[in-house]
Amino acid sequence: MPRFQIDDRVIESAPGMTVLNAAEAAGIDIPHFCYHPAFPPEGSCRMCLVEIEGLPKLELACSTLVKEGLKVRTKSPKVIEARKGVLEFLLAEHPLDCPICDQAGECKLQDYFDEYGLFHSQFKEAKEKREKKFRLGRNLILDRERCILCTRCVRFLEEITKTEEAGLLNRGIRCEVGVFDSEVVDNDYSGNLAQICPVGAITDSDFRFKTRVWFLESRESICPLCSRGCNVYVDSHPGYPRTPRARRVYRVRGRVNPDVNSYWICDIGRYGYAYLDEGRAPRLAWRKGGRDTRLTWAKAAQILTEKARSLVERGKGSRIGVILNSNLTNEELFLADRLFRKGLGVENIFLADPPPGKGDQILLTPDRTANRRGLKEAGPPVKAPGLKALADLDLLFVFGHYLASGIGPGELKAALAKVEAKALFSTHRSDLDDLVDFIIPTPVIAEKSGSLTNIDGRVQTFSAALEYEGEGLPEWRALLDLARELNVEPGLFSALTSPESVHRVLRDTVSFFK
Amino acid sequence: MEEKVLTRHFGVPDLLRIEVYRGQGGYQAAEKALKQMTPAEVLEEVKKASLRGRGGAGFPAGVKWSFVPQNIPKPRYLCVNADEGEPGTFKDRYLLTHNPHLLLEGTILASYAVGIRAAFVYIRGEYETVARRLEGAIAEAYKVGFLGEKIMGTEFNLDVVVHRGAGAYVCGEETALLESLEGKRGYPRLKPPFPASVGLFQCPTVINNVETLSNIPFIIQNGAEWFLKRGLPKDGGTRIFGVSGMVKRPGIYELPLGTKLRAIIFDQAGGMKDGKRLKAVIPGGMSAPILTEEEIDLPMDFDSLVSAGTMLGSAAIIVIDQETSILDVLGVVSRFYAHESCGQCTPCRIGTSWINKIVKRMVRGEGEADDIDSIIRLATNIKGRTLCPLGDAAAMPILSICQKFRRELEGYLRHA
Repeated sequence: MPRFQIDDRVIESAPGMTVLNAAEAAGIDIPHFCYHPAFPPEGSCRMCLVEIEGLPKLELACSTLVKEGLKVRTKSPKVIEARKGVLEFLLAEHPLDCPICDQAGECKLQDYFDEYGLFHSQFKEAKEKREKKFRLGRNLILDRERCILCTRCVRFLEEITKTEEAGLLNRGIRCEVGVFDSEVVDNDYSGNLAQICPVGAITDSDFRFKTRVWFLESRESICPLCSRGCNVYVDSHPGYPRTPRARRVYRVRGRVNPDVNSYWICDIGRYGYAYLDEGRAPRLAWRKGGRDTRLTWAKAAQILTEKARSLVERGKGSRIGVILNSNLTNEELFLADRLFRKGLGVENIFLADPPPGKGDQILLTPDRTANRRGLKEAGPPVKAPGLKALADLDLLFVFGHYLASGIGPGELKAALAKVEAKALFSTHRSDLDDLVDFIIPTPVIAEKSGSLTNIDGRVQTFSAALEYEGEGLPEWRALLDLARELNVEPGLFSALTSPESVHRVLRDTVSFFK
Repeated sequence: MEEKVLTRHFGVPDLLRIEVYRGQGGYQAAEKALKQMTPAEVLEEVKKASLRGRGGAGFPAGVKWSFVPQNIPKPRYLCVNADEGEPGTFKDRYLLTHNPHLLLEGTILASYAVGIRAAFVYIRGEYETVARRLEGAIAEAYKVGFLGEKIMGTEFNLDVVVHRGAGAYVCGEETALLESLEGKRGYPRLKPPFPASVGLFQCPTVINNVETLSNIPFIIQNGAEWFLKRGLPKDGGTRIFGVSGMVKRPGIYELPLGTKLRAIIFDQAGGMKDGKRLKAVIPGGMSAPILTEEEIDLPMDFDSLVSAGTMLGSAAIIVIDQETSILDVLGVVSRFYAHESCGQCTPCRIGTSWINKIVKRMVRGEGEADDIDSIIRLATNIKGRTLCPLGDAAAMPILSICQKFRRELEGYLRHA
């Protein structure tokens, strides 16, 4: 391991590491624009220049490899002056329209000026006039005046999607990012361009002018829209009054995880967040004779458990059915298994999931559920729901609103009409609402905590990125309540109070989760 | 003149025809090398001759060749840099127009020494006639078996391809040349890796200037000793000086390295035109820092010019007279680099354009008191901080003009 010096610190780092990476690992910030850890060094922005003892010129931290005995200075007068020089150049031709720029507040140019610049402009000439609203992609607007030509976007399209829609046009000061005439960046990862743009050059038409980033609260979550389990940030508005948008969530961004999604997320995960706020099932309802009656979960649980108990006591346990889905957490699936299959001896455990879609070679999987692998490892064996099997039941617990999408609505209605009591635990409104007796709203993945197992078998824990605002409760809590009410496995269930406690049991009892 | 080497046959009619060239002793060096010498012996001879690159940087050619790894399975390539774009420079054009076979013979020798089977001549796009002549020479060489397979009956094979550039100055920078040759945008590459290890199509590549390669046949034919005698101990051979500007006889002059600059201007090129007085000289192509009239008594070789704070570069001497406004010179220089900056890295892209904007304003008569200091500050911020040498090439002449001719420039400012 080469030992070398950065400023007054001696650092040891793996051979083959760059000065910039090694410095970052040691907590020393070296400013940069064009360098992005997902790509090979580009060396064009010249912001990361550092002084290396014995070398006449300043060297690039992003491409210089560490070496035994190297002496790097990141704060010497020469380095400070060089950084100022680069900032002065970039800002000379920059429109400085921060007040109307969506990037303001998370802009590298802004941040670096604050940290390394703070000079008065000496630029007396006319700035270059360029296109401010170039439609670069499906959801992307390019402001060429703000662009600093770091080419991260171009390289992303070369290296990650390999679609190469964008390139550089012209030369020198007239150099600009462009696409072929009448074409745009149109691939399922285009949203990443806005995220990796270090300045406000590429903005997301979905986010543009909707809010200021400093009003947003970023919390970590896992994208549940396919089985990759991409790590994301959910950026929401924590209450600052803001019209016209009544939504909480303003954007979803990729969060770095080299083992899962690298730096990226697909456009389905990025732009599909409307479901977090739209079409949600808000009310706990008891549908009796065509009328909704308000009730509490305690009351609903009491009715459901009484029904279950009486069926079990009369030896009619086989007339209880459960429909699960692959978007439940590992913990919930484990609880469902212990409560229904092992506790009550329920045999009719079915699975109803959202239909699969098209996958790609990058991240998106054809399976559009978050936890199919978790179901296999933590949940009970499941079968496909048949109309006849459903019609033979007296009590049905339905988790998720996906059943309606798989079966013809008329036939489903007829089959479910024969079931005496049907409880639906659902995040969203659906056609199924009219076919059941109890509607118990539940939070979505972003609103609860637990763990999911992705397509590669990686178990990822997460906590709530958003407050759950509905009247219902998470499925894990509902399952715990039902189990306690039914006095199933008291030794197990009485100790469980949270997804974390369930997860511990899961780790202790299921070898996959060890 | 006795000391002429490269241009010694220039007067011979039809020299560009292969039989005429052979009649002057052409292709004898190639035959000697291919039949009597090992590649290592050729390389060793060139190393001993202290032949420094004629493109501008002056890197020893033999040393450059020896960097190419020989024990890897990848092919190796030779790129002939004929993208002569440095303002004031026209020596390669003359060499190729008059004696294209000399370059081809040098190309054969270099390829043989380094173990190369394919060479590309990247020729400046505007050199249309030159390119056609070279292509004609290549066709002739193929016909007589001096190119292609089993050259001169030996086991050595070599193909030569001419590729015409599209008019970008930056493509004369060796890595931008490689990118352009690969069909990409002419953007210089980050170094390391150097082309000798990762060059054209990711393979080890030698890039040599036309004049550099044209010297090789003489070194092989006459030996390194002979060659060294025509130059300096660390700097073998002659140099083709291109003299332009306000002199009586502009043109190319092949002279020993170390000839005095004043002698080239006044003895060779006939002195100043129309009785004009000398004001300044750019000694090595436009990128070289300018020299004042008092500074021109110095020998024209790499090291002497570096000591004088400038460089020999492409040995293109631009002579400026007293009547020429130094602001106009600055305007030409700054406009050229602003126009030719490829746009890849920040300091060069914006710096050259910014300086050009200031200079243009000064030319309009709107110069302000702090403009010269601004130009100096901006050029200092470009120098040494760019991805390729184009930034330095822009900053150095601009800095030297502002520093050495500050008083004259101040006279053009509004409040002077």
